[in-house]
Amino acid sequence: MKNVTAKFTRIAIANRGEVAVRIIKACEELGIETVLLHSEADINSRAYRMATKTICIGPAATAESYLNIQANINGALAGGAQAVHPGFGFLSENADFAEAVTKAGLIFIGPSADSIRSLGDKVHCKELAKKAGLPLVPGYQGEHQDVPHLIEQAEKIGYPVIVKAAAGGGGRGMKLITNSADARELIESAQREAQSAFGSPKVFLEKYLDRAKHIEFQIFGDSSGQVIHFFDRECSVQRRHQKIIEEATSPSLTDDLRRRMGEAACAIATIGKYKGAGTVEFLLQDGEFYLLEVNTRLQVEHPVTEEVLGVDLVKMQILTAQGDFLHDPKQVRVPRGHSIECRIYAENPYMGGVPSTGLLGHVHWPEGPGRRYEYGFDEGDTITPFYDPMIAKVIVWDENRPRAIQKMIRVLKDSVVFGVHTNIPYLIEILSHKEFVMGTMTTRFIETYFADALKEPELTDLEKKIADGALLQLRGGQMSSTGSAEFMTVSPWTSYWRGI
Amino acid sequence: MELKVKIDGVDQKAEAQLMKGTLWVHANGRTFTIDTASGRKSRKKAGGGGSSDTISAPMPGKVTKILLTPGSAVKVGQPVLVMEAMKMEYTLKSEIEGTIDSISCAVGDQVVLGKALVKSKPSAEK
Repeated sequence: MKNVTAKFTRIAIANRGEVAVRIIKACEELGIETVLLHSEADINSRAYRMATKTICIGPAATAESYLNIQANINGALAGGAQAVHPGFGFLSENADFAEAVTKAGLIFIGPSADSIRSLGDKVHCKELAKKAGLPLVPGYQGEHQDVPHLIEQAEKIGYPVIVKAAAGGGGRGMKLITNSADARELIESAQREAQSAFGSPKVFLEKYLDRAKHIEFQIFGDSSGQVIHFFDRECSVQRRHQKIIEEATSPSLTDDLRRRMGEAACAIATIGKYKGAGTVEFLLQDGEFYLLEVNTRLQVEHPVTEEVLGVDLVKMQILTAQGDFLHDPKQVRVPRGHSIECRIYAENPYMGGVPSTGLLGHVHWPEGPGRRYEYGFDEGDTITPFYDPMIAKVIVWDENRPRAIQKMIRVLKDSVVFGVHTNIPYLIEILSHKEFVMGTMTTRFIETYFADALKEPELTDLEKKIADGALLQLRGGQMSSTGSAEFMTVSPWTSYWRGI
Repeated sequence: MELKVKIDGVDQKAEAQLMKGTLWVHANGRTFTIDTASGRKSRKKAGGGGSSDTISAPMPGKVTKILLTPGSAVKVGQPVLVMEAMKMEYTLKSEIEGTIDSISCAVGDQVVLGKALVKSKPSAEK
């Protein structure tokens, strides 16, 4: 076996939260020191405490810190790092950042700037895929951006049609056109949004698949440029185009589909000369699959792939960047069992998901076989309003999907987060839903079944008695025990915003 | 902290924490909160405690308006101060009746979560 000797002695992390912790752990295992490049707001976080070195690169506002290319590069150089890991989000898919890192004499842990440009740009990626003969959602990706021309193209595709910003993502500049009467207005509106959000009014059109599943393939290009895939994940449970629950492998693929989709994923990545970890996303409807986009970075949901295959994608990324990782042709990778990930958001499920910020109280992630927690904050840390509300990920593994679902529900019920509200009750409802249990959910699952805020259950008599007794113990028995204390039970939201 | 509460002869396992007047409880697979301030209010009738005489920042943000000055009389629910966070305005109201004692912020100040902004003196018990 090849002896792993780290060429890097120190890696800079251009990210925050749980992914920064994940990268630090991988570095520690490889004997590499870390420099956390953080904002002023992130001093109270696990990554800050765990990193070998920390460098503040700017104020809380992301534009001045986590999205500031020069500040990150200055920090990485000042910290004595040889390489930069961008994590996911922020600058991870920014080709200019990858290029700037390289120009500064550092190594970008990810694909080359050219790969990011060719595969990360949605329109360009589709052109490449078309040339390679890969299936695409029927649509129009042309340069001709006149509204009457776009309407004509939309008619040709056939409604419903979705109009998207070419430079966009995250649901902005994205509109669903269901009939020709609305076409003009919606296309113009999408162009305006695209201009203000991404600085370019360019849009493209796509047939809207109304009962599709989101299936993606984890791909990995080694140091020699050989790309293989690490099987699939299903992420159909999405709210406003944001994934909430992911699993590996998908319950929806036949062996034949899995083989063909895997080949397509490797083909597009190979064309893009892909190096490191990436994800090729597809939509699957009525047994037909279509390429959606390529994410040129580590994915939030990478742990479910790691669990079913017994791999460490972050370590692999680092080794690949060092130039000493090659796929072993003798190693046959076969997914084993089933893994599910739930994203824990600091939000109030009884208030339609409004963000919940503040001082984190007691936190307890119950340990046990086949359970894994990725989190960025401990008791005493503050969940600030400046960043993404995802505070943790809960990942389980079990022998099969029904058992994994059952385990996840138990684990979520036993997980404790005080101080901020979380979407845990919401996740439990989703995992218990018949359609999820059957594995037939589509990307419209949430809007169909969970459009409204959860109804908050009343406290039971037992819960009230437990609360009374707990309060008595917390106050050291100082509270008079004569007469029962009548606590007015209020919604957590009301209680948090009391006094406003 | 982890604790046990004996109810009808059975030990019920729970985790609980008191944070700024809110009791957080996790028991039997569920987390819930109870506002002990309202509990205090209900005990006030029996001669105990009182509502908070301090208005604290419920979130990090900017103070945009101060509506009263020290010495002003204030009623329960009366707006005292306006804050802005994440491009939204929030009005902070008095929880007690009395007079404004001190104001420890100025318009334009960026304040941290939980910072005490206004202190009031409750009017004498009747």
